[in-house]
Amino acid sequence: MTTLYFLDAAEFTDVSAVAAAQPGAQMERLLGYVKVTSDGPLVVDRRATGVRHAVWYSALAAVGHGRVVQYDKDALKVEPAP
Amino acid sequence: MTSPTAQAREQEADPRGTSGHPVRGINHMAFPTFDPVGTIHFYRDVLGLPIVQTMQVKAWGPEYQRDFVHFFFDIGNADCLAFFYYFGQKPYHDENLPPLLDLGKHVALHVDTLEDLDRLQKRIEAAGLKLDMRVMHETVESIYVRDPNNILIEIARPLRQLTAADAVDAEVTAQALLDVLASNGEPTLDALWNRKAELIASRVPA
Repeated sequence: MTTLYFLDAAEFTDVSAVAAAQPGAQMERLLGYVKVTSDGPLVVDRRATGVRHAVWYSALAAVGHGRVVQYDKDALKVEPAP
Repeated sequence: MTSPTAQAREQEADPRGTSGHPVRGINHMAFPTFDPVGTIHFYRDVLGLPIVQTMQVKAWGPEYQRDFVHFFFDIGNADCLAFFYYFGQKPYHDENLPPLLDLGKHVALHVDTLEDLDRLQKRIEAAGLKLDMRVMHETVESIYVRDPNNILIEIARPLRQLTAADAVDAEVTAQALLDVLASNGEPTLDALWNRKAELIASRVPA
């Protein structure tokens, strides 16, 4: 199961919320992190998060069972690890 | 023995755990300067940081030593930013320093409020200097300016207080980095993200 962790801090709230809003995604707060999981890929549209670049590029704290295939000014996309 | 609850409370009150060690800030950071006139003008007159200690020293010790003046600017909390001016020393500049490594080496001064940051920006610009940039980072907003020695000076104000979660994440990240560097694989950010997820999962009580 693809798992993304975001630090549970104010500056990353909008990023984790957009990640968790995808169909099939589940969210839980865990040990100071927001954990977002999905059976499939997870995609976060940067513009939908509204965060500034300096925050966007440090928002991703950890990736479990997944591979980051895109992380740029447009989106973060993580696919399940093969 | 302190209970886990009390420890957690202490960590919330002191997320960086500074009560656990004896170090209290920076006594001073020191740099050589080849432009004491510009340096004193920049720190004392532009930023408003008073010179609080100086030493004029006759060369002694190693053969390469020169007569020098060592001067200290107050940067708050009784901490100082200090410079050495060596009489007769030819200026040296590393022209080959890659930009990435140049940016990675800087001094960040702390101010408490947005008003303080704005005030210093105005003083810098009123002196005819140009900011390199003003950036809203994760937990600080910063302005950047080059001092007369080409040292990148960041001035930062907090956007929020650091929490116990920040401290835990820092510990996990540092451990993940050590683990990735100790492994046989290529050290990459992807490897660090994956290792962090393993470490976080291992912290979840069964």
